[in-house]
Amino acid sequence: MSELVTIYIDGQPYEVPKGANLVDVAKFYADNGIPVFCYHPKMEPVGMCRMCLVELGTIMRDRDSGEVITGENGEPQVRWFPKLQTACTTTVTDGMVVRTNTDAVIEARDDMIEFLLTSHPLDCPICDKGGECPLQNLTMAHGPGRSVFYWEDKVRLAKHVPLGELIYLDRERCIQCARCTRFQDEIVGDDVLAFHERGRELQIITVSDPPFDTYFSGNTTDICPVGALTTADFRFEARPWELKDIASLDVYGPEGANISLSTRLDRDAGGIVIIKRVMPRQNEAVNEIWISDKTRFGHHHTRAAERLTKPKVRVGDRLVEAEWDHALEVIRKHIKPNVSVGAIAGPTLSNEDLWELRKLAQAVNAGAKLSIYPATMTGGDIIAQVGVGVGTNFKDMGSGTTIVVVASDIEEEAPIWYLRTKVAGDRGAKILVLNARETRLDHYAADSIRYDYGAAVSAVNDLAKHEAVTNAENLVLICGAEGMTLEQHGELMNACANLLVSTGHVGRPNNGLLAVWEGANVQGAFDVGFSTEATAEMMAKVPDLLFIAGCDPIGESAEAAGLSKAKFIVVNSLFDTPTTAVADVVLPSQSFAERDGTFTSGERRVQRFYPAQGVIGQSQTDWRIFASIRNGLNGSAVQRLTAGVFKELAGEIAAYEGLTYPALAVVERQFPDVGGDDLYYGGTAYQNNGGLGVQYPATSEAEGAKPSKFATKGKKTSYKGLTAIPVNRLYDRGYLFKYSDELMQQRIGEPFVVINPADAANIAGGSRVGVTIDGVQYEALAVVSEDAPKGFVLMPKRLTSQPGPFAPAAIETIEVIAEPVGA
Amino acid sequence: MLIEKYADRIEKTFSKYPDKRSAVMPVLYIAQEEYGWLPDEAINEVADICDMDPTQVRSIAGFYTMYSEKPKGKYWLQVCTDLPCALRGADKFHKELKEYLGVEEGGTTDDGMFTVEHVMCLAACDKAPMLQCNFHYVENLDMDKMKALLDEWRAEAKEDK
Repeated sequence: MSELVTIYIDGQPYEVPKGANLVDVAKFYADNGIPVFCYHPKMEPVGMCRMCLVELGTIMRDRDSGEVITGENGEPQVRWFPKLQTACTTTVTDGMVVRTNTDAVIEARDDMIEFLLTSHPLDCPICDKGGECPLQNLTMAHGPGRSVFYWEDKVRLAKHVPLGELIYLDRERCIQCARCTRFQDEIVGDDVLAFHERGRELQIITVSDPPFDTYFSGNTTDICPVGALTTADFRFEARPWELKDIASLDVYGPEGANISLSTRLDRDAGGIVIIKRVMPRQNEAVNEIWISDKTRFGHHHTRAAERLTKPKVRVGDRLVEAEWDHALEVIRKHIKPNVSVGAIAGPTLSNEDLWELRKLAQAVNAGAKLSIYPATMTGGDIIAQVGVGVGTNFKDMGSGTTIVVVASDIEEEAPIWYLRTKVAGDRGAKILVLNARETRLDHYAADSIRYDYGAAVSAVNDLAKHEAVTNAENLVLICGAEGMTLEQHGELMNACANLLVSTGHVGRPNNGLLAVWEGANVQGAFDVGFSTEATAEMMAKVPDLLFIAGCDPIGESAEAAGLSKAKFIVVNSLFDTPTTAVADVVLPSQSFAERDGTFTSGERRVQRFYPAQGVIGQSQTDWRIFASIRNGLNGSAVQRLTAGVFKELAGEIAAYEGLTYPALAVVERQFPDVGGDDLYYGGTAYQNNGGLGVQYPATSEAEGAKPSKFATKGKKTSYKGLTAIPVNRLYDRGYLFKYSDELMQQRIGEPFVVINPADAANIAGGSRVGVTIDGVQYEALAVVSEDAPKGFVLMPKRLTSQPGPFAPAAIETIEVIAEPVGA
Repeated sequence: MLIEKYADRIEKTFSKYPDKRSAVMPVLYIAQEEYGWLPDEAINEVADICDMDPTQVRSIAGFYTMYSEKPKGKYWLQVCTDLPCALRGADKFHKELKEYLGVEEGGTTDDGMFTVEHVMCLAACDKAPMLQCNFHYVENLDMDKMKALLDEWRAEAKEDK
């Protein structure tokens, strides 16, 4: 803990950490909200808005003796600054005296509000921010209620300026606090917003192409203290006071970002409660108060028109709608003793779903294969042994910490980890990037190490001698699987674990391994007993009876086509997909928004989400569907509540021992205090009232634990000829995100491949090419760039409706289908 | 392309600064010299050269008044009309110059030769009326001298063609 000093705020003494910011301290310790517009607890202070003016002084001490000088009445003498000071640019020191409620301070606030309002439009009734607007609130609290300025002189500017597709700027409402530009610059590192001109002409601009191109743009609307930045998604959709907030979790990434679903009864949606917007929910250990645009705007699938509303049963070569009882009956009829069984779980199934799926599959056949889709990464058990220690928080990482990112473009694969890694780097942490190609994180890296695709393992082994690793006090490895087969990734995970164990960086906070899982609950699936190796085995020998839930393997992965050979296929799905097309029974399941459950994040944090949206059609929770099938099967008792399923699970899975729903819902006060009524301070991110979750300990954290050795064969794979490397992109046409609204569709863009200039002899950038792999042609836009290493073609996954390769694959031919437009 | 045409000058500029980003302002001047003002094309080139986002470069161009974001004539005449200069007749000179060229404040002649605007103190009060033409001082002016200079510049421009 840092050193404490005593300061006096409005006459009261407080013990506060030395060097802390005065605004933060006054708020957290003295519950004294010094009003601010430009200051934000997550960013460096700039002192631009002058709203936080206070009277500041220090207790006088004798120069020689250091004794406190007292006046006639024995009170310590205070040396006051002659003028008011900005609290936000002040760090606390011992004996600091602050007055926040004197006439001078009140008058100053009064004046600042008056100045701000000289040109701020009075369109609160149609402003999306109205009702949760810091300017509105602070005007009510501190404003003069009159103005000496002529309203006619107010500046008139454009009111509907699109900054990219997702964000609208209202130039008149902007009060020039620079929070958005500083967020983009300091926190994200995409400095695509800036001020233009000066004085009264000052305006926010973006001239980047494409405009406001960043994965975090939505966060600027949260921290905007006025309605200048609003999202296209929520524009004119609802008023904040009509919304009910339900704690939930991101369903796309492994980071476990905490979100809050703002819901409302909606006539247009058929009179059910729907999600009107997604907002961040503060969890300082997970996502602080930031979420990616995918998390924020990717909620439309929950009520897409394509949602399945009734079960379907195969009759001949058609799927026809049926009642639940009939559908379940049909399934039970096909469950015979000793039938071989496989289960494929998608990455968005909750732990409860997975538990019931496992119980069902094993009830039918004890040797059932339990597999995870997508089967691109492995090593959930390794994470359970040497994953990051309990209490790990990127926020605590700085000088002395080394963060290594291997084989992952984490900006695309885990944007919150990207953001937090980048900011840790700014605080002094060393970032090492190991990849076969350049990624955005290289820009912030202390060292970028390039290996050839196929040689990642030896690159990690060589790290043991790297100065940034040998000198590291704390070491975190973030491991992806780009350009690897499942087997190669297993080797890499072993190599990473080996490095951590051999250098002693396991079993304590801010040390250990993270895997960039492709989805929200892949770690949970591993924990409950599912594996990706089982998927590979299943592809090799397709079982007779197949349960597929929460994914679309046949529609996305070229390797999964063989699954359709199973004799009887049951698919739980939100939508009609190529996978449901080969099913014998299709059961409509519920999205994360309609139900409750738990996800386990990549940091092994088990977190709860809660029901928010009205149920669509006759859809059912996945675990309930599995329980219903099993119930009729052998009469075994099933749980009635999600909490009951979790309790059962926690009783049998050792890592989850002792975890309960109430324990996961515990919240405590976080620093800085964001949310609540003090919107001006941290923005409109929500206070966490749904639970901070519990990180279960890795086995290497146990008292006296000796982590086992992890062996690697160190075998290199070398590729001959042109090879396709499937890569992940944040915005894709995957199972859920495909059903986003038009807003996100524009951002996904059309399919493309990246070819190195040396390999693109007769291919011009911008032409349409056909890439043939394994006899299948994939059409895409050709991007000719050094981003792809020589001999390799980067092929983003899931950009078309055509299933593509998920592992490196030899390219037979690339031919030009059409020359670039305009060439 | 600036990077090709002014490779030497840009290289020399870079050598004066710790990183490329810091050299953005001198490089912007080079771009302005080439284009006469700073169109989006110039901003994008400078952004490429200095390894910055175009938005940041545009922001810098917007903040400083010596970067022009609107097309200017070949000769950019900035007349100082602050108080000491005005006392020596600079405001009258400014007005007459505009009338002679037939332009409004900040306007450009139809032939694209001259842009006239008034500016704040150029620190040459003792030699007023004065102006700066493409950032070079021309001092102790009156309209006769000015007319001669304008003809000279016109001739110069013709030769350049």
